[in-house]
Amino acid sequence: MKVYFLPDEKLKELIKVLKGLGKVFWSREREITSARESRTKIKIEELEEDAIQDYRIPGFRSYDSFKTFLLPLPSKVAEYPDDEWIDIKNIKQKTVLLGLKACDLCAFSLLDKVFIEDPEFIDPFYKRRRQTLILITSDCTRAGKSCFCNLLGRTPYVTSNFDLNLSEIKDGYLIESGSEIGENILKNLSPVESNEEQIQERDKNRKNVMEELTAQNADFVEAFSNPDILVSEGYKSEEGWNLGRTCVSCGACTNVCPVCYCFTLFDRSQGEGKKSKRFRVWDSCQFKGFSQMAGGLNPRFPLMEQFKNRYYHKFFRFHERYNEYKCTGCGRCIDNCLGDIDMREVLSGIKIEREKVNG
Amino acid sequence: MDNIYYPFEAEVTDIKKETPTIKTFHFKLAKPVTFKAGQFMQLTVPGIGEAPFTPSSRPGEVQEMEITILKTGRVTDVLHNEVKVGDRLGLRGPFGKGYPIDKFIGKEILIIGGGVGLAPLRSLIYALFDRVDDLKKISICYGTKTTKDQCFKDEYDKWAAMPKTSLNLTIDVLCPDWEGTVGVVTCLLEKDRLDVDVRNSYTVSCGPQIMLKFVTIKLMEVGFKPEQIYLSMNRRMSCGVGKCGRCNIGPYYLCKDGPDLCYADIKDYPNVFD
Repeated sequence: MKVYFLPDEKLKELIKVLKGLGKVFWSREREITSARESRTKIKIEELEEDAIQDYRIPGFRSYDSFKTFLLPLPSKVAEYPDDEWIDIKNIKQKTVLLGLKACDLCAFSLLDKVFIEDPEFIDPFYKRRRQTLILITSDCTRAGKSCFCNLLGRTPYVTSNFDLNLSEIKDGYLIESGSEIGENILKNLSPVESNEEQIQERDKNRKNVMEELTAQNADFVEAFSNPDILVSEGYKSEEGWNLGRTCVSCGACTNVCPVCYCFTLFDRSQGEGKKSKRFRVWDSCQFKGFSQMAGGLNPRFPLMEQFKNRYYHKFFRFHERYNEYKCTGCGRCIDNCLGDIDMREVLSGIKIEREKVNG
Repeated sequence: MDNIYYPFEAEVTDIKKETPTIKTFHFKLAKPVTFKAGQFMQLTVPGIGEAPFTPSSRPGEVQEMEITILKTGRVTDVLHNEVKVGDRLGLRGPFGKGYPIDKFIGKEILIIGGGVGLAPLRSLIYALFDRVDDLKKISICYGTKTTKDQCFKDEYDKWAAMPKTSLNLTIDVLCPDWEGTVGVVTCLLEKDRLDVDVRNSYTVSCGPQIMLKFVTIKLMEVGFKPEQIYLSMNRRMSCGVGKCGRCNIGPYYLCKDGPDLCYADIKDYPNVFD
């Protein structure tokens, strides 16, 4: 696929073309000011006309995840007793996501495995929503403090599964299409072909971010060498999971995680003699009610069992079934943990404890 | 495309009180359903929610179905307190794999039930009776707290009279109207009482988790191998198709790989019995 050069001033044009395709949501740097502090936060927001002029694609992933676009909250999945209503028919409009990073795209491909690629059951709601998305990705230009995609063998830039990918270089972006939709968007922009020097600059940027990641995660490489074996064999290690003891079961980690997809069905009555609605809402294995049965029995009790379950699902169960880790290395769970728990340190803790025990 | 989350209509045509806390609901289904013994349904009480139950009636292609339910939570409270004959509820399913009956051919089958756990086993018992010629023996062991807690009482004589079949009952607490065994269900599995060719049989157990745990320990003690032990495991469920993420034991989802699992497959995973 050819790589083109899009000078800075033409980014607006691209966004205008995207706007013509459907609703656009972008990840965008925002100044958050409170009495306590002022800082920049990367947020996902609906495109604002006024902001197009100054828009720059952020350097790394957003604070919240893009899974809302595939698993919206709440999502109505049935109305009974009669089934005249089917939600999927109403999902027609295209949605453009701008500024996705490699980890966000990776999350989509992991969710695809569960909801559309597993031949045992294909989820019609997910499938329909997935088909309406146009994905405009971009290379990371720096690593967030909690980013660790490299530990899972992933990269901070994408090479496939996108519609368009943007790589920031001097005075503009390199732009590459990865699909027919992307190809058509490019035609509208009539960009110039990139030169060898620009490609070299892109590759150098990519290498720099990768080096940044390698340096900041150097201490954790061993813990991530076979996390499936580590988590399953180290499951019973009392000391190994010590870092999880500050977990307060708030569920922030599963909520911000781009691949935590566990849900529950929830019914609501419309009143006597009327239809009832069934919704699918996010659930969290970090909540007691996730596994507790009628009658009170809870196979994941006490809290530490809930805590372990998240690691067990991500690194063992999912790997057994799909041969992939259910973690993108985005680090959102680290940023949002009330108990200050770092997934990298937890795995390292188990590793160290196991080595102590095994000599 | 069928919507997996949409419940089809099921009309309550009869409600039979089995025990003070257990009722059997008889349903007429809006469409025929084919289910295997051990497969389960998600029963919807409109506006309240769903709960998973394995039918207690004869499996096959059916237009009617019985579900035996213990009053124990949000949905079952409404079922017991408010649902009456003529009400229209919803059903989804069947889900899961069911009991591996083909594997049982030519073998002795030891069925162990506790409390309302006899409900899914009754469906299996019917299925086995239909193929009794192909089986060596059917031994049914059933334990309850008291005589008042025994389900399907009026069928015991019929079951015991079936060829190659034995029925052993026990109660946990001595009752004045009882002359049989007293003790938890594992007391029926003691070596000297168990009239089963251990090497040539399969066991199927259903009941509360604590019972399953001690039944498994006892079965191993008398010589059964994990490969011969099938357990109807209990976990919270929601979707029924292995997506909502909660009903797993190791990598197995009870809703689609179970709910009846072979002990050999699950024994090494965490939180099997506790």
